[in-house]
Amino acid sequence: MNWQAIILTLRLAVTVSAVLIIIGLPLGYWIAFSRWRWKFLIESLVAMPLVLPPTVLGFYFLLLLGRGGIVGAWLYRIFGVILPFSFAGLVIASVLYSMPFAVQPLVVGFAGVDRKLIAASALLGASRLRTFLRVILPLSLTHLLTAVVLSFAHTLGEFGVVLMVGGNIPGVTRTISIAIYDNVQALNYASANQNALCLLIFSFVILSVVYALNRRASFFGAAP
Amino acid sequence: MIPASPPATEKNKALGRLDLRVKKQFTAAKNGTPGFSLDVSVSAEAGITILFGRSGSGKSTLLDCISGLLQPEGGRVVLNAETGETVLFDSEKSINVSPAQRAVGYVFQNLALFPHLTVKANVEYGLAHLPRELRQQRRTEILQLFHCGQLADRKPDEISGGERQRVALARTLITEPRILLLDEPLSALDVGTKLKILEDLQAWNEKRHIPILYVTHSPGEAMRLGENVIYLESGRVLAQGKAEIIRQYAADEI
Repeated sequence: MNWQAIILTLRLAVTVSAVLIIIGLPLGYWIAFSRWRWKFLIESLVAMPLVLPPTVLGFYFLLLLGRGGIVGAWLYRIFGVILPFSFAGLVIASVLYSMPFAVQPLVVGFAGVDRKLIAASALLGASRLRTFLRVILPLSLTHLLTAVVLSFAHTLGEFGVVLMVGGNIPGVTRTISIAIYDNVQALNYASANQNALCLLIFSFVILSVVYALNRRASFFGAAP
Repeated sequence: MIPASPPATEKNKALGRLDLRVKKQFTAAKNGTPGFSLDVSVSAEAGITILFGRSGSGKSTLLDCISGLLQPEGGRVVLNAETGETVLFDSEKSINVSPAQRAVGYVFQNLALFPHLTVKANVEYGLAHLPRELRQQRRTEILQLFHCGQLADRKPDEISGGERQRVALARTLITEPRILLLDEPLSALDVGTKLKILEDLQAWNEKRHIPILYVTHSPGEAMRLGENVIYLESGRVLAQGKAEIIRQYAADEI
């Protein structure tokens, strides 16, 4: 069993999910409630990874953030940071690539909260932040859970972006999916099978837990 | 008839009078919603004023403008109280106090109780700025006044319709609003229950003398409850006065 790859994959998935929730909460709130007329452009941008192959994202990531890229050169000069083929670079690329899986459920959840409840909260003197924390978020808990799990699961199963941006460095960027690819290339089917089966069972268990919890939505004290 | 409001002596006439001048235009939408214009200029003294009108006459829109949920294009919303004049909205001076800062109590038709919070937490919601002991004390008092003390730990979907109305009122009144807006919150109740709740509301208002606007589309209810009635039609005030004006203008519907 390739424990190094498994632990790295979990570390990546946990980090990416956490970052995505931190970004996704305000972004989802903004998309759900903003009346800006050009909002649809931001929505399209967030949804792009759904239609684009990961190679496109990875390609522009390398172009921009690579040592020769505009941002990458600057990062290297100022901080001495090289993002491609590093764990941090992998996190950034994965966050972008999994963005819609975190943001979409949150937008659906927030927009689905009864506007009268939001108005009632404001009329009782609550600030927007308090309304969000005490009313909107608690009534979107199932959507929050979906966002976390989808981000996590999607990062877990990622391949293209990792290959483009991270390469195949053991302990740094070699995730399970890359390890499996490696094993197969080397005709090492026994190892490939071990890793693949591990990923398969793990994914199934996680998704089952989510669907089971979603079925008992009242468990969270709120309907979706 | 509900117990009459305290006699309108010169003194408490000055206590909390709501002066409104509100203009708002809604253009016809492509989906077939017809255009609508609200143009209302009216005052409501302390105590209950019935805002009567058929559905679509602009009653709820007017309440939304008073509470700040909607912004009128023109006009003024002013509360005249003992302590002086409070301007909530003034288009000329570009004053538009946010709903959270207006201290206007507003009970919606669907009540909008927070479904995930207990009665206790619902009622204390508007007191976040107070220390916990004070919150609990105020909550206990108001729940007792509205005969809901035993419901504190239940969720809104675990109590009856009449109890929900009482809790919604308590949740709004505990914040000591300067104006109270009631958008048919009692419409689903039988007359007996409704009158009992209104009695409790009167009792609460005896010490405070704030203007209370009570919206209804039922002529019978307006006649039964109202001393003072504002009759709204197509976004205009058709008549204002004693409940008899209903008989005059909506005789065929009573």
